[in-house]
Amino acid sequence: MTIIKKNIILFLFVFASMINVSFAQNAIHDTGFNELKTINEVTVTTTRTEKSIEDIPFPIQVISKKFIQQTGSQKLIDILQQQTGLILSDNPLGQSLQGYPNPFGSGIQLQGLDPAYTLILMDGEPLTGRNAGILNLGRIAVGNIQQIEVIKGPATSLYGSDALAGVINVITEKPKNNATILQLNQASNNTWGITANQTIIKNKLALQFFANRYSSSGYDLDNAIYGKTIDPLLNYSFSVKLFYDFTKKIQWQSSARLFTQKQFNNYLVFTGSLPVAVDGDSKEIDGGFNNQLFYNFSNKLKIISRLYLTGYQNNAEVFLQTDKQLFDKNFLHQFLVKPEIQIEIGEKRNQKMITGIGYNYETIEADRYSNKKYFNAFYCFLQKEWLLKNKLNITIGGRMDKHSLYAIQLNPKLALAYKVAPHLSIAGSIGTGFKAPDFRQQFLYFTNSLVGYTLLGANELSNGLLQLKQQGQIDQSININGFLGDHTLLPEKSIGINIGGKYALHNKTHFAINVFRNDINNLIDRYNLPFTKLNGQAIYSYVNINTVFTQGYDVTVTHSINKQFSFNLGYQYLDAKDKNILSRIKNAEIIKRDPVTYLSSYVTKDQYEGLFNRSKHTANLQVCYFQKEKGWMANIRANYRGRFGYSDINGDNILDDDREYVNGYVLINAAISKLFKSGFEIQAGVENLLNHKDKDRLPNLPGITYLINCKINIKQLF
Amino acid sequence: MIQASMIAAISVIIAFSSCTRNATTPPITSIEKTDSLKVNFSSSSPFAFFSFKNGAIVANSDSATLAWDFGLRFTTFILNSNAFGPGNAGAILQNNIYTAVTAAPSTGYAYDTTTSQKGIKDGSWYDYNPVTRSFAPKAGKTFIFRTANNFYVKMELLAVDYEAFIGPIPLRLIYRFRYTYQANGTTVF
Repeated sequence: MTIIKKNIILFLFVFASMINVSFAQNAIHDTGFNELKTINEVTVTTTRTEKSIEDIPFPIQVISKKFIQQTGSQKLIDILQQQTGLILSDNPLGQSLQGYPNPFGSGIQLQGLDPAYTLILMDGEPLTGRNAGILNLGRIAVGNIQQIEVIKGPATSLYGSDALAGVINVITEKPKNNATILQLNQASNNTWGITANQTIIKNKLALQFFANRYSSSGYDLDNAIYGKTIDPLLNYSFSVKLFYDFTKKIQWQSSARLFTQKQFNNYLVFTGSLPVAVDGDSKEIDGGFNNQLFYNFSNKLKIISRLYLTGYQNNAEVFLQTDKQLFDKNFLHQFLVKPEIQIEIGEKRNQKMITGIGYNYETIEADRYSNKKYFNAFYCFLQKEWLLKNKLNITIGGRMDKHSLYAIQLNPKLALAYKVAPHLSIAGSIGTGFKAPDFRQQFLYFTNSLVGYTLLGANELSNGLLQLKQQGQIDQSININGFLGDHTLLPEKSIGINIGGKYALHNKTHFAINVFRNDINNLIDRYNLPFTKLNGQAIYSYVNINTVFTQGYDVTVTHSINKQFSFNLGYQYLDAKDKNILSRIKNAEIIKRDPVTYLSSYVTKDQYEGLFNRSKHTANLQVCYFQKEKGWMANIRANYRGRFGYSDINGDNILDDDREYVNGYVLINAAISKLFKSGFEIQAGVENLLNHKDKDRLPNLPGITYLINCKINIKQLF
Repeated sequence: MIQASMIAAISVIIAFSSCTRNATTPPITSIEKTDSLKVNFSSSSPFAFFSFKNGAIVANSDSATLAWDFGLRFTTFILNSNAFGPGNAGAILQNNIYTAVTAAPSTGYAYDTTTSQKGIKDGSWYDYNPVTRSFAPKAGKTFIFRTANNFYVKMELLAVDYEAFIGPIPLRLIYRFRYTYQANGTTVF
């Protein structure tokens, strides 16, 4: 009860602060503050075609180039985590272990779901190469992003697997004007960035080149442990875009990108009784090629054909420092080809129908999988919109996926938006989503050489057990028959509901609220087989077992106090729980034991606080100053992350004790910049002003850092 | 909270009543004790044998006698019966609060039918945390043993820690546990 009350009070507080400011004037619209926005911002993610943000019946958040520039940050994840409801989340296995490098990094938690449940797109096409479900967002250079669109809630009806919690679509700049832009960035930890942008437009041809070099020496949060917390790295990004209009009706867009990164690893291992240092590196290569042809047959019919190819490689090797012998080697190679045809029918805004068919051919190879795997998948989608009496927008959509590994997946979506008054609209949507079992869960074939346990992906279980038995690693008297045969995992499935409203006061102050609920079934988890190997060690595999829900709401208020000052306030409340745990609590099956007194007692429903690694309360506040005439810009941004569960201490493996939390913290960032008439811009900033650090639990957070950026826009060089 | 305090109250009552019973019928037959046991981590090293009656570790040379009740290595329990010893030991892993277990069942004791099919299933009583690499004994799991000599014991694992080590693999785990040994041969604790 008290928790609910607290929330109501917090909610009222947020609302009160909305009302207090609502009588002032001036407007901004999205998270890119400081620019007087008219309501014509265009997004592409929700319908796969350009669409004004005002018309969209789902929750969508747009991060503008302006906002990205104002942060001064070179790291995409830092920019994302300053948005309402986008929370930085470390993979539970991704924390540094005794100086061992962090292998997975962090991702974005959306609507309380782990990073693996958000689809990451670049210009509408998926990126491959996830390690333990996390895609290294450092692969995306910040320098040529036009805007980032974040859909919250399931978007599987358009994008297929992984879009359960939502979609983050990074849209890069399109060639518009002849321009040459050069940037130099310098930041703490010996971080350097050099960026060059060149656009050439001649008649029907538009060309754009982008190059970026980024390097950082990493940092060390714990001198007592050999090696750095985050190792030094160096990366390069290149992209080329070619747009050509054959006729007014036929246009061609082609783009290629390449990213390479080398991270230098240096840590201690044990080969005998004494530690020895190893060093080596992890190399990542990510490439993509996207080819699109647009045929505008008439005002009513448009056909887009696309061919997308992408590949990802990760190769890591470390050598003993003493004799340069190879100590450990890991690799992951992934490749995807995706042809697709999309048809848009309809003329009027908000009356269009979009349909498409496509095919995925995918290969994956990794040292921990038994051999190279090949898959293919076919999909088609359809989305139709109606606008009734200029007030009610109805969108119905759905998608079918037929993958070679699992049964046909049908995912529908329905969305309604209603304009109650010129400045007030409400919207609601319901849709399903799915996530294909990841490759680890299906194909892992791994025995730990030090301890001796074995992990088998569900598809390898049958073969793996037979082999272990043949090799005499399982006692001959054990009956393994119950575990032979087909163990194909089912996709994880969800239903998501979002209901929200938007209100504009004097067209100057904007409020938005969205209430969400996601129910996820068939979540895959690891389990122990009921027998062990002859060495006494366990055999693990994966099974569809858990059901969880996440629910909450987010609120944003944007307001311009006057021509110069504006602010943006965001808050998210989140409640995420495991339904199996709730029913086990109800049946008095969960007992806890205090780690100090050793007293045991039953866990009650009120004591269960939900899933680990989720903050009930998160909030952000951004205050901005902009003096257009003189080119001055300044901002201060605060991010609050409420306390979140870290690990169990009382023997019940659930979050139900105050000692199981990481304390809440605030990050404060600030930046100031001046744009000169010559086109030269200089920016200085500070991040994590309060110098918050936690070497064990927040290894991805360096202390206070400073940055300086210089940018020059050389106009009409050609 | 109410439930927790009620349970605490109940356990006080149980403790109190067992005291009065002990006071009226000497000598004391029920021994309650907290103990710890150092156990080899490597699956190829010897088991550590334990005797409830003496509350002490038993030499490996006595493995073929009735002197021990259970053996422990890494997270693997063995029992002194069938595949591993001459005794009549068996075990039940009950989902219950230790203090709430007032009597041992008369039947249903599992034993090691073969050297790899154990009475106490590995992984049934702990949660492994891959981040801290800890084996945390699950709360609310009470082991009920019949000893090699047909006496009854209830036991709760309290903690499993690594002994300080240098090297790639820990050498020993330290198990902390409490148990009540009923020396009068009955099933009542």
